[in-house]
Amino acid sequence: MHGFAFDNMHNEIVVTSPLAQAVLTFNGDAHGEEPPIRVIQGPHTQIDGPPNLGNDRVSIDPANDEIYVPAVPSSVLVFDRMANGDVAPKRVLHGPNTGFDEPGIRGMATVAIDPVHNVLVVNHRNSLLIFDRTASGNAKPLRVITGPKSGVASISSFQVYAPKGWIVSAMQGGSIGVWSVNDNGDVPPRWKIPVNQLTGYTASGIDLDPAHKEMLLSCAGQRSRPRDGIANAVLTFSWPEIF
Amino acid sequence: MVTRPKRNFVIAGVGAAVFLLGSSAVERLWERFQGSARLVSVEEVPDSAECIRPVSEDAPVSVSSTHNLFSDFGEPSVEAQESGPTVNFDRPPARILRDTAPIYSSVAVDDKRNEVFLQDNNLWSIRVFSRLDNAKPGTPPTEARRVIVGNNTEVQFNSCVYIDPFNGDVYSVENDIGDVIVTFQHDATGDAKPIRKLHVTHRAYAMAMDEQNQEFFVSVQHPPQVAVYRRGAEGDEKPKRLLIGEKTQLSDSHGMAIDTRRKLLFVDNWGNIADDNVPGSGRFGPPSITVYRLEANGDEAPLRIIQGPKTGLDWPGAMSVDVDTGDLYVANDMGQDLIVFHSGDEGDVAPARTIKGPHTGLSYPVGIFADTQNKEVWATNIGNSTATVYPLMANGDVAPLRIIRSAEEGKQSLRFGKTQALAYDAIREQILVPN
Repeated sequence: MHGFAFDNMHNEIVVTSPLAQAVLTFNGDAHGEEPPIRVIQGPHTQIDGPPNLGNDRVSIDPANDEIYVPAVPSSVLVFDRMANGDVAPKRVLHGPNTGFDEPGIRGMATVAIDPVHNVLVVNHRNSLLIFDRTASGNAKPLRVITGPKSGVASISSFQVYAPKGWIVSAMQGGSIGVWSVNDNGDVPPRWKIPVNQLTGYTASGIDLDPAHKEMLLSCAGQRSRPRDGIANAVLTFSWPEIF
Repeated sequence: MVTRPKRNFVIAGVGAAVFLLGSSAVERLWERFQGSARLVSVEEVPDSAECIRPVSEDAPVSVSSTHNLFSDFGEPSVEAQESGPTVNFDRPPARILRDTAPIYSSVAVDDKRNEVFLQDNNLWSIRVFSRLDNAKPGTPPTEARRVIVGNNTEVQFNSCVYIDPFNGDVYSVENDIGDVIVTFQHDATGDAKPIRKLHVTHRAYAMAMDEQNQEFFVSVQHPPQVAVYRRGAEGDEKPKRLLIGEKTQLSDSHGMAIDTRRKLLFVDNWGNIADDNVPGSGRFGPPSITVYRLEANGDEAPLRIIQGPKTGLDWPGAMSVDVDTGDLYVANDMGQDLIVFHSGDEGDVAPARTIKGPHTGLSYPVGIFADTQNKEVWATNIGNSTATVYPLMANGDVAPLRIIRSAEEGKQSLRFGKTQALAYDAIREQILVPN
């Protein structure tokens, strides 16, 4: 499993099941072999899976009751949070104007939503594509952060801290950087933590804990052996400056 | 003095199940980190009330209708600031959660040399022990005779170890990223380079060798298949034959075993089914063991299927066959047991024998090896950094004959397999980690 989400507003866990082309929602306190409370699966969903790595990530917008699933070819599927069964997506972001390269987003892209500034951010091939939150069809991104100064890198999951419009995402070389949702072009991050330099780990997933002003990172080796040899780790950084 | 926040950590498994790792286990880990020489560095959070708010253990866990995203933030919306030079923060992590001990995913026994090989999925190593090693209560962890580990080994995300009974070659199957099977000489140690590498399909899981026909079998999770290669295959060599297709009823295939005497191939399946060419074709089926001719090829139907609630199959992992009896041994991960079927079993049949219970020491067993020469069956336990061995015909709540233990006694592992993602549950102040 490369991506999942916790919905703090509705107390739910949302996970993908790529090999069965499904999105599962569990109670937030689910434990053991507890069945999901909702399953999105079936021919109308347009959800795919391997070998193109569709349905590899999932993101949640609790404020607007929506679930985002990157899919192939080159698309982001948007479902109602309460969707259950063989349900069609309510929006599909797809087309040459989106900036999603063919053969596509391949599910390796990941999505974060800022319900305050009303934007959708897609981390795709070392770029951050910023769309209107309700963008649909062949929409152009409002702004794109990419380039050598930006250092933007791909990652399994990233976050937007909506109250301040900060995008917290990966940088080349294993750092974590922070950009504004209003940034555009080859813009360096406002802040960064050189995680790999400090720890030997490269993060694959990010989440935020605003209450404790912390950033949490998952690290799983990522094609290189960490210098102390322990492949799997969860790191927590205090980062009050971004909250 | 900074008060460490009170946290729980949740570990989510692949697929649907979610496990809770209680705070006590994490605290034991924390205390261990704090109290002894270690590879792990855990730094205290900076002494600043702005950084960390101590959290009461009695803090209510509730969700109300007024609880929403913005109240969680606790601050008004502020537009993003003007750009400026990047500010670099070279601060160390406040906390690191990780397991310093090996976590064993697979086991193989070399009867000729009286050695046991354990595949470690946490430190990316292969550890070699005497077959008769036994970590008794009150003794320190078992010392490995040698360890294959390092960048040159290309051992990573490893799911299966196999020992060639003739020349002692050590095979390691990788389940992610590199898509290779690497082979080492029997005496390899340290940061050894493989003597052979074979590129295989992504998501390879298990392997088995047919010495008589000089070929070896590799199971692949998805698209579910069994590839059969020439013994000694390397590089980009293609399989001699491929069992794949809808008629095979393979689905998210994991463990595999062969019975060369009865000419049978066994594959266990988790039941996640989809046609990759058809979005929306996915569905869930029950787990199963599908049984084929040893020479099965192409889109060939199984001879029979073991499937149904009586079987107890629950995320089955590795399998091993006793060629003398034909019995099929299954490491039944989420069932917390080792289950044994007779060779001709079919349909919704209960296991002939089950090793399960508090005396067994089993904890999320995923690796298994039937050592027919010594009449023993081995298991590796993801949950507690051990390998345990039982009499081959054991049944019920049986204590292990011996234990290889690579952590302090009683330690529960974090069960980290691949910590690719995480999510933070602000309601319970828990970290969810899938593997």
